[in-house]
Amino acid sequence: MSNHSEAAFEKQPMWAGGRSPFNVSYGKLMMWIFLLSDAFTFSSLLIQYGAQRFSNVQTAVTTKWPDPASIFNHFPFMHGLHLPLLFVSVMTFILILSSVTMVLAVEAGHRNSKKEVQRYMFYTIIGGVAFLSCQAWEWATFIHEGARLDGNFFGITKEGYDHLHSVHFGSHFEWDKAVDRTNGPVPFAALFFIVTGFHGFHVFSGVVINVVMYIMTVRGSFERRGHYEMIEKAGLYWHFVDLVWVFVFTFFYLI
Amino acid sequence: MEFHSKPGEYDAINYVPHTESHGTKELWKTFWLLLGITILDFVIYFIMGPSGIRNVIFILFGLVKAYYIVGAFMHMKSEKVNLALSIIVPVVFVFGLIWVMLYEGGAISKSHTNHTPETHTEVHK
Repeated sequence: MSNHSEAAFEKQPMWAGGRSPFNVSYGKLMMWIFLLSDAFTFSSLLIQYGAQRFSNVQTAVTTKWPDPASIFNHFPFMHGLHLPLLFVSVMTFILILSSVTMVLAVEAGHRNSKKEVQRYMFYTIIGGVAFLSCQAWEWATFIHEGARLDGNFFGITKEGYDHLHSVHFGSHFEWDKAVDRTNGPVPFAALFFIVTGFHGFHVFSGVVINVVMYIMTVRGSFERRGHYEMIEKAGLYWHFVDLVWVFVFTFFYLI
Repeated sequence: MEFHSKPGEYDAINYVPHTESHGTKELWKTFWLLLGITILDFVIYFIMGPSGIRNVIFILFGLVKAYYIVGAFMHMKSEKVNLALSIIVPVVFVFGLIWVMLYEGGAISKSHTNHTPETHTEVHK
């Protein structure tokens, strides 16, 4: 191996072989291309959500698409209180935090600091598991409320809408199920389960990948190899999961 | 960085460019930015009523967050420009699909309301 200046490198013909046109390793390039295809998959799922929402017909009985604030307004250990968006913001915070610890692990890998990589990978795994636990709680609550794949009881009547908007953030709230609720657009809960489930599965596989990376770090595989590029690749995947969550959060909870 | 100039020296499968740490300052800055935007999302959700403008704000915030996650966390800013373009430009197709599918969804909704005028009642908003 010989060392040349970057200027000399840039002078070589880009696509004539003998160099990486993108100056990136094979594995990392393939990870990027995989993430691009995964981005398309998530896009089509979210676009389907949008199309269903746009095609939803407003009737005299029900309002439009269910208001997420009226459904995801629970928080653990605060039963019966109207706390929309709070729990999911906590989940977002957990995911952002685990993204930071991941990127710190990558940075430590650039310095070949095994100990730090180990520590930050551990934090990242904890973050991933915490996020998955939150999601399990969210699903359990949603199913307990009556969410099913083949129906939707989250349609809100005009009375229900007024009832919901008369309560303040943090005050006690209970649905009058006979008056406030009605059948809503059928795909609502199914889309929620499919999209957050698909994202949750990505988080799960990300955690598995991170555990493998952690074990490999502890066993010194990367130290022997001389570089921590695998951490970077796992990091790309993990950040992508965070990226998808940004849009799931926006379209399922905010809008 | 290590570069190879002689033919046969470059191993496409095992080639790994040498990387250097750029410190953690920018990463923490990105973290605070993402956290700040998320808190702003939360605040705007409660101070603004549901409206089209609010939705546009949320989507723009989402795109800003995506820019920082991809640019800083995934190091896209420090990759070669041709790699960045190869990955980012195909995402344009997504915008085409968004336009087509939302138009389609809106048309379905409209055709239903046209055929059953008695259900077309302004309930709220």
